[in-house]
Amino acid sequence: MQVKQALRSWKPWVGLAFLVFLLWVPASEIAGGYLQTLCFLTFLYVTLSTAWNILGGYAGQTSFGHATFYGLGAYTTTILVLRGVPPLMTMPLAGIIAALYALMWGYPCLRLRGQYFAIATIGVGEATRLLMLNLDDLIKDSELLKGFLQEGVLTGGATGLMLPTPEDIKSYAVGFYYGAMGLMFAALLISWWVKNSKFGLGLFAINMDIDAAETIGVNTVYYKNLALMLSAFMVGICGSVYAQYMFYIDPQTVFGFPMSIAMVLMPTIGGIGTLAGPVLGAVVYIVVQDRILTANLEWGAFKLSLSSLHLLLYGGLLVLIILFEPKGITGLQRRLARWWKKAGTRVTEKRTA
Amino acid sequence: MTIDVPALLVGAVLLAGLYATMSFGLALIYGVMKIVNLAHAGIMMWGAYATFVFIVNWGGNPFLAPLIIVPLFFVLGIFMQRFIVRRVMYAPPIASLLLLFGVWLIMQNIAYLAFSGDTRAITTAYTLMTFRMAGIAVSFNRLIVFCVGILALFALQQFLNHTYMGKAIRATAQDGDASKLVGINTERVMEIAFGLGIALASLAGSLMALIFAFDPDFGRPHLLKSFCIVVLGGVGSFVGVALGSLFLAISEALSVLWIMPAMQDFVSFALLVIVLIVMPGGMLGLLEKFEKN
Amino acid sequence: MGVLIRGEDVCRYFGGLAAVNHVSFEVNRGEIFGLIGPNGAGKTTLFRCITGVYQATSGRILFNEKDITRLMPHRICVMGVTNTHQVVKPFMDMTVLDNVRVGAFFGRGWVSKEVKDATKEAMRVLEFTGLAPRAGSLARNLTLPDRKRLEVARALATRPELLLLDEVVAGLNPTETDMMIALIRRLRESGITIIMVEHVMRAVLGVSDRVMVLSFGEKIAEGTPKEVYTDPEVIEAYLGKSYAAPQDQGNSAINR
Repeated sequence: MQVKQALRSWKPWVGLAFLVFLLWVPASEIAGGYLQTLCFLTFLYVTLSTAWNILGGYAGQTSFGHATFYGLGAYTTTILVLRGVPPLMTMPLAGIIAALYALMWGYPCLRLRGQYFAIATIGVGEATRLLMLNLDDLIKDSELLKGFLQEGVLTGGATGLMLPTPEDIKSYAVGFYYGAMGLMFAALLISWWVKNSKFGLGLFAINMDIDAAETIGVNTVYYKNLALMLSAFMVGICGSVYAQYMFYIDPQTVFGFPMSIAMVLMPTIGGIGTLAGPVLGAVVYIVVQDRILTANLEWGAFKLSLSSLHLLLYGGLLVLIILFEPKGITGLQRRLARWWKKAGTRVTEKRTA
Repeated sequence: MTIDVPALLVGAVLLAGLYATMSFGLALIYGVMKIVNLAHAGIMMWGAYATFVFIVNWGGNPFLAPLIIVPLFFVLGIFMQRFIVRRVMYAPPIASLLLLFGVWLIMQNIAYLAFSGDTRAITTAYTLMTFRMAGIAVSFNRLIVFCVGILALFALQQFLNHTYMGKAIRATAQDGDASKLVGINTERVMEIAFGLGIALASLAGSLMALIFAFDPDFGRPHLLKSFCIVVLGGVGSFVGVALGSLFLAISEALSVLWIMPAMQDFVSFALLVIVLIVMPGGMLGLLEKFEKN
Repeated sequence: MGVLIRGEDVCRYFGGLAAVNHVSFEVNRGEIFGLIGPNGAGKTTLFRCITGVYQATSGRILFNEKDITRLMPHRICVMGVTNTHQVVKPFMDMTVLDNVRVGAFFGRGWVSKEVKDATKEAMRVLEFTGLAPRAGSLARNLTLPDRKRLEVARALATRPELLLLDEVVAGLNPTETDMMIALIRRLRESGITIIMVEHVMRAVLGVSDRVMVLSFGEKIAEGTPKEVYTDPEVIEAYLGKSYAAPQDQGNSAINR
C-alpha cells in the first residue's frame, strides 16, 4: 500500500530517470567525455562532503583539516602501487591508514570543545602537509627508515609522485566513472544508515548537548572517535580514487588547506547535518568551480576573469549562510516550503470566508 | 655549518616581541567575546599589504606607516564587530568560527585581485643594516620591529589598567553579565575590544612586512602560531602571552639546530596541537597546578 | 530494604575551597531522600560527584556496594544512576520523542539496538509522564514545565534504579509544582529510589522520607522532615541565629 502511494508521487520517477541518465553518460560522450569527467568529480566530492558531514554535521565536530585523510589515502595508494601492489587492493588500506591516523591525533584532540578542536585540526592539517612535503629529506639520513625510499623518493616532496598511465585510458576512465558512482551511493547509504541508527542518535545528542548526552549514558569519547574514524576512512578511500584517476599527486593539492576548505564548505552550503545537504553542496561546488569560475566577464573595457574570484565567492557564501540561513540550502528550502504552505492556507481561508 | 647560537637566541627574543604583538590581538578578542577570530590571519596580511602600498607605492616613510595604518584598521575592526560579528555573538561558537573564516577568505581574494599572488617584500634603506651589540650581529630592522611591538604592548597595558574603557574591557572579559549590571555598556566595550584586536593584528602585519616576504596566504602559519601562543600563555594575561611568545620563538630558533629549516613551522604547528591537548590552561595554569602541590 | 547508595567521607575541593567537606550519607532502596541547604551549600556539587561529572577529591561513593567514585558518567548511568539538571538541558533540535529515545537507547538494561524497541519504550515513558501529546514537537518549542517533564522523562527512559532530581520544581507555579510532586510519587511507586535537591520546602519536605541538610559543604542535619525543619542549626543556616530559638514556628512550609 505504501509502495503504491510512493509510486504515485513524482519524486521516485524523477530520481530513476536521473539515475538512468547518469548511467548513460559515458556512452553518450557528451562534450567529448567532458561531462563524464565532471560527473566523476561530482561523485567523488559528494562522497567527501557526505563523509565530512558525519563528523561535522551529525556529531557537530567541525574539522578544518580533513584534507589530511584525503592526502594520506592518495599517498598510500600511490606509494604502494609504485612498489608493485595492485591498485584496487590499496584502496581499503588507504582508508584504514587514514582512519588510524585519525585515531592517533583524534583521541586526544576530540577531548577539546568545539572551537578548540577546529583549531587543532588546522594545526594537524598543516603539520601533516609539511611533514609529507619534507619526509624524503627527513628520512634519507636515517639508517632505519632509509629502506623505505625507492630511488631516493618516498613522498616525492614538492614535485609529487606520478603513477604510470594505462594504455586504454578511455575504458579505464569509464570504469572509474561507475566505480565512483558506486562509491557515492555506498557513502550515501552509510550516511543514511548512521542517521537512523542508535549510533547516529548518539552523535546528534553529542552535537546538541555533550554533557547531557554523557550523563544519559552515551559514551561520548567512543562515539566521537568512531565518527572521526569512519569519516577519515571514507575520505581516505576518496583520496585513493583520486590518485588512481589523476596519476599525479603532490602535497599542495591533496594535503592543502584549500581541500580542507572545500570539505567544510560543501556541507555548510548544502545544509549541515542533513542527508541531502552534502549532496547539494557538492553539486553547487562543482558547478561553480567548473562553469562560473572559468567564465570571463566582459563589460566594455572592464575584463574580469572569474577564476580569480573563487575565494571571494566561497567566503561570501559562507558569510551569507552563517548570517542568514545557517542550515544552508536545505534550510532555505524548508523555509520556503513552510512559507508556501502558509500562503496556501491563507488563500483557502480567503476563499471560504 | 656552524650556527651562532647567541645570535640565534637574540634573534628569537626580537621575534618574540613581534609574536607577542600578533598574539595579543587574538587573545584580547577571545578574552572579551569568547570568539576565535580566524580573520586575524587576513588582517595581518592586509596590514602587510597596506604597509607595502604605503612605503613602496606611495614612498612613505617606513616609520610613519604604522601610525597611519593602525588607526584605519581600528575603525575597520569596529565596523566588523558592529555589522558582522555582533550577529553571531550569541550563536554557538562554530557559527562565529565559520563566519570569520569566510571573512578571511574574502580578504584573501581581495588581496589576490589587487596584488596578484606574487610574493612581495619591502626593502628600505634600513633592511640590510645590521650592527653589533655585545659582539652579536643584530638586524636593525628586527630591532625596530621589536621596539615598536613592545611599545605598542606597553601602551595597551597602560590603557587596560589605567583608563575607564580599559578597565571596562577587563571587566567584560571576566563577566559580561556582571559588567552590564554595574552599568558598563558591553556592546560598546566589545566594539572597542574588537577594534583594538584588529588594530594590533594590523600592526603586527605591518611590522612583519618589514622583515618577511609575504603573499595573500601569508597569514595562515602566523595565525596558527598566534593560537599556539595564546593557548600556551593562557588567555587574558600579558605575562602569559609574553612568556608564550618567548617560548615559541626560542623553540623555533633552537629547532634549527636539530631539524631542517623547512620544518620550522612544523614545530609550531605540532606544538599547538600538543599544547591544546596537554595544557588547555596555558603555562600559567600548569604553574598554578605545581604551586598547589 | 537495604542501602542502595552511600557516600563515605566525600570531599570535593576547588583549589582551596571545600565545596563538599567530609559528607557521609546513606540512602535506602525505595526512599525519597531530600537534600536541602542554602545556596552554595554544595548540593549540586555532591550530585555531580555521584554522577561522575566531577570526581570526588577524596572519599568513596558506593552504589549497590560497587565503587563508582572514579567512573565516567556514562558508565554510572548504565549502572543505574541517572540525573536531571538544575538548568534543563534538552536536546533542543530533536523532537520530544527523540530526546527520550536517547535515554531509552543508552541507559541501563537496554540490550536492543532496534530503533522500534527504543521507540516503544520512549512512548511508554512519555505516557507515564504525560508528554505523549507533545511527542512530535521540537524540544526548543516546549514551555518550561514541559521541558522539566521532558528532562525527567528522558532520565526515566534509562531505567534508573536511582534518580537524582536537581531542583526539578524550580521555576514552576504551585499547580505545576503539585503535578511534578505527583509524578515523583508515581516514580517512587514504580520502584525507583530518588534523591532530590530542592529549595521549595513544600516540595521536598512534603514528599521525602528522610532529609539531609548541607551548609557550606558540610552536613549539619539528617533525619525525617519534621526533625530537620525544627532543628535549630538548620534554621540558623537558612534564616540566621535570631530565628533559631523557639521550636514551633508556623508549619506553612509543609503541606502534606
